[in-house]
Amino acid sequence: MHLSLLIGLVVFSILSVLVRDLLKAAISLATASIFLAVIFFRMNAAYAGVFELSVVAGLITVLFITAIALTRSDEQVRESKIHKFIFPLFFLALLIIDVLVMKKLLGRIPAIGSPETGTFGEIMWKERSFDLIGQIGAIFAGVLAVLALFRPRNKSAQGDKHE
Amino acid sequence: MNNFWILNMGAVVLLIGIGLYCLLTMKNMVKLLIGIEIIAKGVTLAFIATGLTKNNLLLAQSLVISVIVVDVAVIATALAIIISIHRHTKSLDVRKLTKLKG
Repeated sequence: MHLSLLIGLVVFSILSVLVRDLLKAAISLATASIFLAVIFFRMNAAYAGVFELSVVAGLITVLFITAIALTRSDEQVRESKIHKFIFPLFFLALLIIDVLVMKKLLGRIPAIGSPETGTFGEIMWKERSFDLIGQIGAIFAGVLAVLALFRPRNKSAQGDKHE
Repeated sequence: MNNFWILNMGAVVLLIGIGLYCLLTMKNMVKLLIGIEIIAKGVTLAFIATGLTKNNLLLAQSLVISVIVVDVAVIATALAIIISIHRHTKSLDVRKLTKLKG
């Protein structure tokens, strides 16, 4: 079951790269996110699963679709047609290297640490209180960047445009 | 448990490889962002799988939530930049961004 979920995740990620239509690519990415969220739930990581499902599969997909709708034009970006031949070769080589490296890693994992104590909230807000401030700063910087990009143009330029 | 971790790490390597391929070869700016998203998916899967194996699942989850939130900020800003570029060049092609004219 877990293996089939991982295969689904990889397949939909490949689809989102290879599909030409951007809308289909965004929807493939959302489907891959849903697979990842199910994997998280099966690994007992409910909080991460909820965030993956609501934020990545929901919000980011909405952002992508909005951006695609706003930038839709007649002119299509021409991707080279070599991908059809190169990507399978690339993926095969990656898969072979992956399997070989992971075989070597078998049995070489360090010892398991001591189990955690406390709840998720305690670990989130007490152990990681300092870097959360930096994270809030990063989000705020993102909001300011979006506001700066979408600010109205200056009055003289707008006046010229209306005339 | 070790084999479970290895299985997940195999998927992580594939996801990061696919994302890097997308970043290196695609010409559409939205596709480049999709590549970044795929790499972020691989990183979050690596966090959770390692946290489960090492008995640190709660800390791994809190880190994953941080990664996801910062990822949203990055994607929102990047999409705003892409829309702004599209207003100037009327295209999503990165090859048209080679001229530094005002």
